[in-house]
Amino acid sequence: MSSVSKYFSGLFTGIKSLLTGMGETWKELWTKKVTQQYPENRDTLVISDRFRCELTMPHDENNEHACTSCGICQMNCPNGTIRVTSKTIETEDGKKKKILDTYNWDLGMCTFCNLCVLTCPSDAIKFENTFENAVFTRDKLKQQLNHEGSKMREKKKEVKPVEPKAE
Amino acid sequence: MSLNYSQPLEISNLTSWLDAALRGCLAEFWVLLIEFVLVAVVLLAAYAVIALILIYAERKITAFFQARFGPNRVGKWGLLQSVADMIKILLKEIIKINRSDRFLFFVAPFFMIVASMLTFGAVPFGKGLHAIDFNIGVLYVTAVSSLGIIGVLLAGWSSNNKYSMIGAMRSGAQFVSYELSAGFALMTIVVLAGTMQFSAMIEGQRYCWNIFNGHISSIIAFVIYLISGHAETNRGPFDLPEAESELTAGYHTEYSGLQFGFFYLAEYLNMFIIASIATTVFLGGYMPIQVHGWEGFNQIMTYIPTYIWFFGKTAVLIFLSLWVRWSFPRLRIDQLLNLEWKYLLPINLVNILLMVILVLTGLTLTDLFPGLF
Amino acid sequence: MAQQIIFFILAVVIAVFSVMAVTSKHIIRSATYLLFVLLGTAGLYLLLGYNYLFAVQIAVYAGGVMVLFIFAILLTNKPGEDLRKELAVRRYAAGLTALVGLAFCGHIIYYNVKRVSSLVAQSDLTPQQLGHTMMGTDKYQYLLPFETISILLLACIVGAIMIARKR
Repeated sequence: MSSVSKYFSGLFTGIKSLLTGMGETWKELWTKKVTQQYPENRDTLVISDRFRCELTMPHDENNEHACTSCGICQMNCPNGTIRVTSKTIETEDGKKKKILDTYNWDLGMCTFCNLCVLTCPSDAIKFENTFENAVFTRDKLKQQLNHEGSKMREKKKEVKPVEPKAE
Repeated sequence: MSLNYSQPLEISNLTSWLDAALRGCLAEFWVLLIEFVLVAVVLLAAYAVIALILIYAERKITAFFQARFGPNRVGKWGLLQSVADMIKILLKEIIKINRSDRFLFFVAPFFMIVASMLTFGAVPFGKGLHAIDFNIGVLYVTAVSSLGIIGVLLAGWSSNNKYSMIGAMRSGAQFVSYELSAGFALMTIVVLAGTMQFSAMIEGQRYCWNIFNGHISSIIAFVIYLISGHAETNRGPFDLPEAESELTAGYHTEYSGLQFGFFYLAEYLNMFIIASIATTVFLGGYMPIQVHGWEGFNQIMTYIPTYIWFFGKTAVLIFLSLWVRWSFPRLRIDQLLNLEWKYLLPINLVNILLMVILVLTGLTLTDLFPGLF
Repeated sequence: MAQQIIFFILAVVIAVFSVMAVTSKHIIRSATYLLFVLLGTAGLYLLLGYNYLFAVQIAVYAGGVMVLFIFAILLTNKPGEDLRKELAVRRYAAGLTALVGLAFCGHIIYYNVKRVSSLVAQSDLTPQQLGHTMMGTDKYQYLLPFETISILLLACIVGAIMIARKR
């Protein structure tokens, strides 16, 4: 190919490719807008189930959770976000037992790595996709996950005591 | 020469009434003084308002090209967004740079804004809305618009910053190169129109726009003018003087507040000026669409005021410029200069020769079909 | 009246910036002051009604030559860094020469200004006239070939220097 014909073919293929590009953007101009207008679209907003926003400890209808206060989550947490405090009580049949006192989690320090959930032997905690976590002070980010007066769910349903005993 | 059709909505009716009223009660000198001041104030106001509208339009159209909504919170559809931005920029602090050349640093934005203001004055917005109408209009526009580059170079130098400096050098090389193409493209049409005066040029395009009149040659000149004009304004794929990935913001990195606002304003207005000059020279300016012999049609078309025709045509070209800007990736500096010196300029030189041949041999549309156009 | 005021403003601008252009220590500032001088001259042309000359002055000097100057200055390494003062004798000699030159030119201009203004009777210069003067072949025309010859002469001079330098 001589240099002259190369010059002109280069010119015309260049123009053609430019026009192709402009055609693409022209189509793009009329496509549906993908912007999510957040506060208005709260009702229709879909957040993926796997999105990790807030650590929760599911409680059932009897206000019972599955945490054995083993502390594995606390050990695995890279930031020291979780602090599990336990207390020892005496059960009805006289045995000493370690139960959960408080389960504290600091959202402000959490990197949402999911290690705590993965390593929990009793599946007591999980991440929810409730993402509206903004608060006005940092203290409010520190949450206690176990509910007031909750207790551990017994493995065997039949030995479940009716009344939680203090001391 | 004025149109013989009735034009009830023209602003020239208002201006001529004002002129007559002033002349009725004042001496010649004071009438002129008041009118000059009025024209200046109106032009400055138009300059600012057009810039605001352009910024809004640009952000909105950009958003649509990217499947977004764009500004939509401040006012209905975000209409007040650019006003809010303007107020913000006016309130910002003007930062003094250590070890910079204060005087030149201060002067540079004024060069930009004055150059674009001077060009802005020569734009015919409508019938009777034409501040400067020299008999060398086209030459005037190319001359004064070239002053802006000095502002860019001085800004880059005085900022005492390598990024600014490299940005300014790139901008200078780019502007000087593309100024040549833009000038030649305009000269092609000057050959066709036989005049450099904008008003005469528009009058000559009553029935046939220059872009159709010189068919092949005109269309080539039009495309070249749009490309080089676009490059002169440092926008779109040619925005490497302010390529943010390499040079932060190029020559206006160190500017803040109102001084940055000047650069920003001048950039947007230069886009408008390029579009409006292209409208005037190629697309018949403010002249409504008219056809030989269709009296009723012509009357209806002239009911639409000339300034609406002008702004409509200009808006189409501005949209085209935005379309290009958001379609193509940024060029490298060698590609940029290749495009100018290896493609645009040689084509332009051949094109101007072609136009001369077309005019001399009578192959323009007005010569070929004298009854139709 | 108004013309007089504008003329005096322009004259002062030209005079002051001319002096500043040669006295400034920073070469880039000198260039800027020179630019102001050129713009002031363009303003004078506009005042006289020479639109064409005005546009050419701005396009060629302000837009072309000055950009080239500033470009060249930007490419130099720390311009104006080691600027020494000239000897006193030399400075006085230069000042004296300048004064003599001023007196000489002033004398000529003062006694010939009437004749010049009688020659320039024509007020409005159209581009058409200019084009005819450039390209026409009648009397007082044929300007472009005449100007082109000067380029030929320049080429000859450059060539002569090249040959002379070779040895």
